[in-house]
Amino acid sequence: MPVILAILIGLATGIVFGIALEKSRVFEPGVIVGQMQLRNFLMLKIFLTAVVTGLVAIAIMHGSFGVGLYLKPLLWKADIIGGLILGVGIALAGACPGTALAQAGAGYRDALFVIAGGIAGALTYGYFDAPITAFFAESGAKVGFDQLLGLPFVTVALGFAAILVLLLVGLERLQPWRDEAGPDFDGLAALPAEPADAEKSASDRHVT
Amino acid sequence: MLGLERKAWSPYVAGVIIGLLQIPTFLLMQTALGASSSYVTVGAHIASWFDPGVGQVKYLASHLWGAKNWWQVAVVVGIAAGAFLSMRISGARRHAISPVWARAMGTPTLAARAPLAFIGGFIMLVGARIAGGCTSGHGISGMAQLAAGSTLAVAAMFTGGILTAMLLMRRV
Repeated sequence: MPVILAILIGLATGIVFGIALEKSRVFEPGVIVGQMQLRNFLMLKIFLTAVVTGLVAIAIMHGSFGVGLYLKPLLWKADIIGGLILGVGIALAGACPGTALAQAGAGYRDALFVIAGGIAGALTYGYFDAPITAFFAESGAKVGFDQLLGLPFVTVALGFAAILVLLLVGLERLQPWRDEAGPDFDGLAALPAEPADAEKSASDRHVT
Repeated sequence: MLGLERKAWSPYVAGVIIGLLQIPTFLLMQTALGASSSYVTVGAHIASWFDPGVGQVKYLASHLWGAKNWWQVAVVVGIAAGAFLSMRISGARRHAISPVWARAMGTPTLAARAPLAFIGGFIMLVGARIAGGCTSGHGISGMAQLAAGSTLAVAAMFTGGILTAMLLMRRV
């Protein structure tokens, strides 16, 4: 494929992705930090809904039309250690690698530092890829749960999707998304009234 | 329900839209959605201005050129453009930094926030490249393909994030 065509497809995909990230408020640092504090579940709701939709779309494409899959291999050490480090970074950055760009687009200035740090981190990893990979010294198969269970992809994908839908229904009953978005759509509840004001109004009442 | 002038959409509508993006990505690009390797492509090009040996570093060289690498760079640039458009149309303007930082970490200004933002971004991409993917590649795409490794990486990612938020941040 010509690079220019790939770039046009990427831009179109990204613009839709960016609109969905901004409108759903999942790009908000308050939502991402709130998710990691197990206070706000908006991130999990959008994430799992995207997984459910992907499961159904990929089950149809792969199951009915034979479209190939693009699994990453199972690498125990790299997945666990890399995943843990990634999570620490997400909490400190208040962003994921993708949502950092949405933050920059929506006007958060600190996102530019997250992106700059991310480029530096990716480049640093790139220079040390050979020793890091040698240190982990593992190779893995591109294995899916369907293979582990010995069942057809479509069956496992649709079953997994159904379980996730039930989980989402439960989450939404527990905490409606509008409450989680908050009054300024930044994933934060309104601040409680200043204690000083409360004392003042109490003493006012006392005087009268 | 999908008006661009609205400041918030249901997370379920947005999640379905993001999930549906797998269809053009699988069919046109023969890959799944991802974001973090674009940082390697951009970083490798910046490095190539200073270091003529970038092409000899196998990992960096493999991210320099080609349709898939530039497709993903275009995706993340598009994410910024889409979020900008969405914000301008709805008028959901943001402060320089989110109020969450003053509440959770006591950094109310951009100057106070910037160093930790840089460090957070650095750690995030080192982790993503060790794991071979991020919230998009391992999360949205890997789990939607039932990949065991991706599900493991996502569990580790949430564990790392939750521990960090619980230990270092004030509840907001």
